[in-house]
Amino acid sequence: MLKRGRGIALSWYGTGYGNGFPDYSVATVELAENGEILLRVGATEVGQGSKTIMPQVCAEVLGIHSDQVHMICEDTREFLDSGTAAASRQTYNTGNAVLKASESFKKALLEEARLYLKLNSTAGLEMADQKIWLPIFPSRKTTFAELASHLKSEGRVLAVTDSFTAQTIGMNPETGEGVPYWPYTFNAYGTEVEVDTETGRVQVLQAWCVQDVGRAINPDLVEGQIDGGFVMGLGYALYEDLGVKDGVIKNNKFAKYIIPTAMDIPTIHKYIVEDPENTAPYGAKGIGEPTMVPVAPAILNAIYDAIGIRIFELPATPDVVLKAIVADREAKAKAAVAEGADANG
Amino acid sequence: MITLNLNVNGKDHRLEIEDHMRLLDVIRGPLGLTGTKEGCGEGECGACTVILDGNAVDSCLVLAAQCEGKKIVTIEGLETADGLDPVQQAFLDNGAVQCGYCIPGMVLSAKALLDKNVAPDDNEIKEAISGNLCRCTGYDKMVKAIKTASEVMQERGEQK
Ligand code: FES
Ligand code: FES
Repeated sequence: MLKRGRGIALSWYGTGYGNGFPDYSVATVELAENGEILLRVGATEVGQGSKTIMPQVCAEVLGIHSDQVHMICEDTREFLDSGTAAASRQTYNTGNAVLKASESFKKALLEEARLYLKLNSTAGLEMADQKIWLPIFPSRKTTFAELASHLKSEGRVLAVTDSFTAQTIGMNPETGEGVPYWPYTFNAYGTEVEVDTETGRVQVLQAWCVQDVGRAINPDLVEGQIDGGFVMGLGYALYEDLGVKDGVIKNNKFAKYIIPTAMDIPTIHKYIVEDPENTAPYGAKGIGEPTMVPVAPAILNAIYDAIGIRIFELPATPDVVLKAIVADREAKAKAAVAEGADANG
Repeated sequence: MITLNLNVNGKDHRLEIEDHMRLLDVIRGPLGLTGTKEGCGEGECGACTVILDGNAVDSCLVLAAQCEGKKIVTIEGLETADGLDPVQQAFLDNGAVQCGYCIPGMVLSAKALLDKNVAPDDNEIKEAISGNLCRCTGYDKMVKAIKTASEVMQERGEQK
């Protein structure tokens, strides 16, 4: 028999290294010879989109288009280390370093403009579209490119480095006091499943993913992270089993280590919740890992809703689910017999 | 050593190869087309997908010697003077790419499908790419991208 059920799960997740460990990121913003911007950041792009959003943050500060910011993150001779692309930390931590470096660079560039335009002060200078001008005396104006060639003629390069260290306080093992992570990311996921009670096979039909992101710097990338996290969580809940026995991985091939294919994915409804975090770059927080956390419990709760049986083992493969169904049936039959004996006796 | 004649991305090649080489080895080795990836080497991941005489195949499972006189399209062969193939463009426009490792194979599986069936439904799309594993994207945006490409190709077909 095919039985349907729905389940939800909520999670909150601290991003960054946490626990008082110094989580440090650094970025350098430099004026290139052609007036465009070089952003030197040791944040690895592994498909999550850091090479897209870091230039967006820098461009926002400088009032230019993100295409005019060239991020260099491949060659370790070219930038300082901004830590691992792990712990869902790059958007918040390195994003903050990029924000600070961009703001410091903006100040330095305005100072260069002041000198070049022979002004008393940088007060009132405007910056947009790679131009800098004084609205109260508009003929005092210059461009990023003009300043770049001026700097070059003097044999100088304008490059500004700034860093960000996240604020966390290690937990006191005695009292449990501390602030192990900052910030936290929140979400609420729901799933609808269909359980085949003859085979134990579980299929996820629909998913609803409500994800707090602080601020979505790039909504397409946020959705991509939600999709990917959901489907990885789906694999964890239903298919993926390393099968470690005596320290040896049994399922060491894709033929045996089953990850979801396109045929296994449900319709994924995505809802982005923006509640800006006030210490974050434009309010944005990381969601890399959080998107995976509530998936397995939401699916297991839906299985419970469908068949009234709690599964306590992951992955909930057909044999695990079927075993639980059979055990439940046998337990119920025994109880019925006992009850019958009671009634007769 | 054997001599092998292949047409790859519209160009004829005459190659001297070792008898035991897989099509994948020839593509990545002597032909230098490294867009085709080796993931598992045993027909499970689809990273090595190429189009062989119109069909998407795992090039790690095909012996090169079996390909005498055949036509092969790799990811490098999709872009034309008019620009990217509609499938490639749609993957970009829909944000269907993350780390990229599965993408050449995924795009070619989609291309082989659309060349045969320009208006597939969701299930046909999912089935066509079910041999291509992706660890990053969750497939959702890929399915959307392939639908977009299908629409673009249908429009172009009508214009012709
Ligand atoms: S490398 Fe050919 S299918 Fe994985
Ligand atoms: S984009 Fe990373 S494996 Fe598909």
